[in-house]
Amino acid sequence: MVLDPAHGGTDPGARGTEGITESDEVLQFATATKKALEARGFQVILTREGNDNPSFDDRSARANAQRGAVFITLHIASTGLTGTARVYVEPEVPASNNITGLIPWDRAQAPFLSLSRKLGDLVQQELSKRFKGSPDTLQTAPVRQLRTTAAPAIAVEISSVSVKERAELDRMVPGVAEAIARGLTDFRPTYVVPTIPVPGGSVQP
Amino acid sequence: MTPKWTVWLGGVLLAAVIAAALYFPALRRQVNKAKDLTEKTAEQARRELLPVAPVSTGDPMVKVKMFWGSRGQEGELMPVTVELPLSREPVLRAKQVLNTLLAGPVDAESRTLPPDAALLAFYILPDGTGVADFSDEIRTSIPSGIQSEQLAVESIVRTLESNVPQVLRLKILIHGQEADTLAGHVDLTQLFRVNAKDAAGTQLDNPSPPGSKLPAPIRKAVETMRKATKR
Repeated sequence: MVLDPAHGGTDPGARGTEGITESDEVLQFATATKKALEARGFQVILTREGNDNPSFDDRSARANAQRGAVFITLHIASTGLTGTARVYVEPEVPASNNITGLIPWDRAQAPFLSLSRKLGDLVQQELSKRFKGSPDTLQTAPVRQLRTTAAPAIAVEISSVSVKERAELDRMVPGVAEAIARGLTDFRPTYVVPTIPVPGGSVQP
Repeated sequence: MTPKWTVWLGGVLLAAVIAAALYFPALRRQVNKAKDLTEKTAEQARRELLPVAPVSTGDPMVKVKMFWGSRGQEGELMPVTVELPLSREPVLRAKQVLNTLLAGPVDAESRTLPPDAALLAFYILPDGTGVADFSDEIRTSIPSGIQSEQLAVESIVRTLESNVPQVLRLKILIHGQEADTLAGHVDLTQLFRVNAKDAAGTQLDNPSPPGSKLPAPIRKAVETMRKATKR
């Protein structure tokens, strides 16, 4: 399980009132989610533990380097209804005319898209139970981080850094962690690493 | 007794001082005149740089759908019909609708793009790919986030879709350069499908015909590989 607290280092991400930055706040959410997941027996890697900023590809590589990983990138928006959370997956990624059985890096998400949607639905259901005003269904958006990830991958975006007090965001931390952990627990039994169809057989990534 | 040459030197210097004193007011007048001139051109240049919607009086008034943010539904777009003089020429038309989109709706809350962002260039490639080049403010002034960036791109794409059928897909550049993301989230390295008629997937995947833009040696290598795999 790879958890990705977005931004960091010189990139603060979204900036809100009272000096709240996406990069700082998201680390809290990631740490709490890691604990909730570990309590359920998942092995969890964070793409960053401190205030550094690995590249999009470096972050994807953490998931792509292992078989059977799941990738969740965590964000805090500067817009949206305060106290809500949305799950995003990549829109349809065009399949490549692949003859090698290898997954092209820039379209790594393609074979995992239906799994990502399944995971996204489960997490979004859990989030909308806990956070009133969140959408019931997952959204699609071409999130750069997801495209190069060869694993079921979703982005969770929390609203927002524009809260009046930091405490409003802090209150959401346990709920988000729990929703992700629950969603992932439900997803686990259905996760089978997909095969890539190639002429004359199929290859597992 | 002073040598003759010092008298000469003194005389020459005195003449130079007198000449300079006489010339100075004229020089100052010239400098002032030049300053006025450069100030005017700077002002002119600034005005030329400002994005002015290319509206020609000859263009017929057309009802166009602009996609701005919906007030009731956060994160959703809402079509607003406005009447604009619109060119029949697709590139000019695209510029006109995008400049109107950037100028924003009456209700500033429904903006999808930052007010200080400008469209620097727009062109359409022969294969139907539209290229829109925006100024840096589209990245620096937009509220960062998946929702806000997605809304910005969608409003551009859907406004083009409903008003400029010649644009099949869109590439967004920032200040003439390809950008990784808009403001940290939404992917700008790929093409956005504008027109549903655009052949599903294949076009987006490979916007130009296979190998058409590749240098000759690489194209040959690709062809050889293709033949080899067919065998």
